[in-house]
Amino acid sequence: MTLWDLQSKSHACIDSLSDTLSPAVASRLSEMGFTPGQPVICIRRSPLQGPLVVQLGDCVYSLERDIANKIALS
Amino acid sequence: MKRIILVGKPNCGKSLLFNQLTGLRQKVANFPGVTVELKSGQFKDLEVVDFPGTYSLHSLSRDEEIAIEKLNEAVHDEHTALVVCVLDATRMERSLVFALQAQALAAKHNKPVVFALNMIDEVHRYGYSIDTDALSQKLGSPVFALSAKALTGIAEFKQALPELVANPPEPAKEAAESQSEKALIERARQLSKEFGINVDLVLKNQNRIDTFLLNNLLGGVAFLAIMFFLFQSIFTWASPLMDGVEYLIGEMAIGVTAFTGEGMLTDFLNDAIFGGLGSFLVFVPQIMVLTLIIGLLEDSGYLARAALICHKPLSYFGLSGRSFIPYLSGHACAIPAIMAARTIESPRKRLITMLTIPLMSCSARLPVYALLIAVLIPSDSYFLGIFNLQGAAFFGLYMFGIVTALIVSLILNRTTAKDKTLTDMPFILELPTYRLPHWKPLFHRVITAGMQFIRRAGPVIFFISLGIWVLGYFPQGAGLKDSLLGQIGHIIEPIFEPLGLDWRYGVAMIMSFLAREVFVGALGTMFGIDGADENIGGLAANIQADGLTLGAGIGLLLFYVVALQCVATVAMLRAETGRSRIAWGLFVAYGVLAYAIAALVANVIG
Repeated sequence: MTLWDLQSKSHACIDSLSDTLSPAVASRLSEMGFTPGQPVICIRRSPLQGPLVVQLGDCVYSLERDIANKIALS
Repeated sequence: MKRIILVGKPNCGKSLLFNQLTGLRQKVANFPGVTVELKSGQFKDLEVVDFPGTYSLHSLSRDEEIAIEKLNEAVHDEHTALVVCVLDATRMERSLVFALQAQALAAKHNKPVVFALNMIDEVHRYGYSIDTDALSQKLGSPVFALSAKALTGIAEFKQALPELVANPPEPAKEAAESQSEKALIERARQLSKEFGINVDLVLKNQNRIDTFLLNNLLGGVAFLAIMFFLFQSIFTWASPLMDGVEYLIGEMAIGVTAFTGEGMLTDFLNDAIFGGLGSFLVFVPQIMVLTLIIGLLEDSGYLARAALICHKPLSYFGLSGRSFIPYLSGHACAIPAIMAARTIESPRKRLITMLTIPLMSCSARLPVYALLIAVLIPSDSYFLGIFNLQGAAFFGLYMFGIVTALIVSLILNRTTAKDKTLTDMPFILELPTYRLPHWKPLFHRVITAGMQFIRRAGPVIFFISLGIWVLGYFPQGAGLKDSLLGQIGHIIEPIFEPLGLDWRYGVAMIMSFLAREVFVGALGTMFGIDGADENIGGLAANIQADGLTLGAGIGLLLFYVVALQCVATVAMLRAETGRSRIAWGLFVAYGVLAYAIAALVANVIG
């Protein structure tokens, strides 16, 4: 399951970041808090496969499908 | 002079702290082609430099790379006496990640660091307090709890800064010892767990507003209302200010030429100097009004939401959600719209947006559209009995511009995909807390935008206006028809032939490079009608009688939709991209495209 599959209002924990992400983007995601074991809540899903909104740590982020698909959840 | 540098992540209130320290006099350093701005001001006998908000010391885009490069240089520089890391006290974890990186960087260069724990008033409002002494011990550098907005702790901070520069605290040696990135992130998390406040409290308010503003229906209505307000502000509310600027310049011209009497000097002062001055100063109010509104949207937190709402539809064309506001503003005027593209983080999408903004039908095209539509379409003709055909034609021209812009974006997106210098930022957007904007950073932003435009785009516009005036004026007393420009028009008449137009249109088209609406007045002069700007109907009747064919007329309309007939826009593109080649290349490219479309239409319809 990836972050993109997370339904609105549901919780999960980050498992890992995909190897297909460029090192620069992967390191930015880690700095933003996307590290293994961190709880994440889906706040909102947009219509027409638009960006989803998640709460992670002390921030609310919006991510598009290409990125969210590459963040695995456990 | 010794220097203090301010660093921190975006939305941590750093700019306001900078403004509270430095007062009204500021300098802004820019770097061509990127949106990086270093603001510097004076605090007592110290120079304070505000660095752009950064998430990390590892860059994702060219803009970030330059910001980080400048930060490295500044930390290394011998004049730099102190690094102030600004933290958002309500969200410690996220702001600590960058602050700890900055602390390590400073320690490596043996520079002392202090932490400014900003927005402490909000922490107190949530009923928490933060043990700054204990936090300071853990961080190995002094910590000041303050609020740049409520002014809590600012007096103490101001008092402490000169002492800290005179007797710097020990650089945090432990921070310099190479910590792995992972350990640093973990440390930020531990510290915020120990000292930070319950984040759910902070985010609950924000999420509550978002359920409304991001709601599919209500959020859409709110979005449209806000965009309507923004469009009104530049289209309608900026116009009294623009009229004011024109009036003042007109009065100055009258005042000055009163001493010169009639003759060439007066004509030169009136039309070339004051006319040239007016041709770029008139944009300043629009730029300032749009900068103010976008500043309000950004500082309140709404701009990020607007980008989120627009992201999906615009991403099909290789644009960013943040391209929407520049596109919308482009319908009033391309000049402020190109400046508004600065809010687009991805350098590639910013460039594509800037290059396609000129295809939006701006207000300067309205007189041209109005004239030619009046010539081609009788005012009482209806489509299906209910739609006025003139109105439908206006709509069609606007849509033609938008569709062309989207197609060009798509093509540019495909062709620049492999350009390494324009690496793309992935869409990861932080939705900041909603906050009431403070006037101080906004005020500086508005003034800076106006000044930058005058300094960077003004000279080009002025000299080209001057050049065209000389061509249209000499030989003296000949009038536009027999001027150098008229003679050039005769010589290059064959160029306009495929468009079904004669040299008179050619001259008016060249003249309108100053600004598209000049076309109407210039064509009026060619047809022997004075003040055609106010008498479009009279000129239209003349053109009709003169026999402009339908094909040539529609071709000319489409030419004005596409062609980059505006010296101010070219100057602005040059200033914002930092490359003349792009600006003039685009002028030629859109010119050729517009010509091809016009020739095609003129020959197909006839």
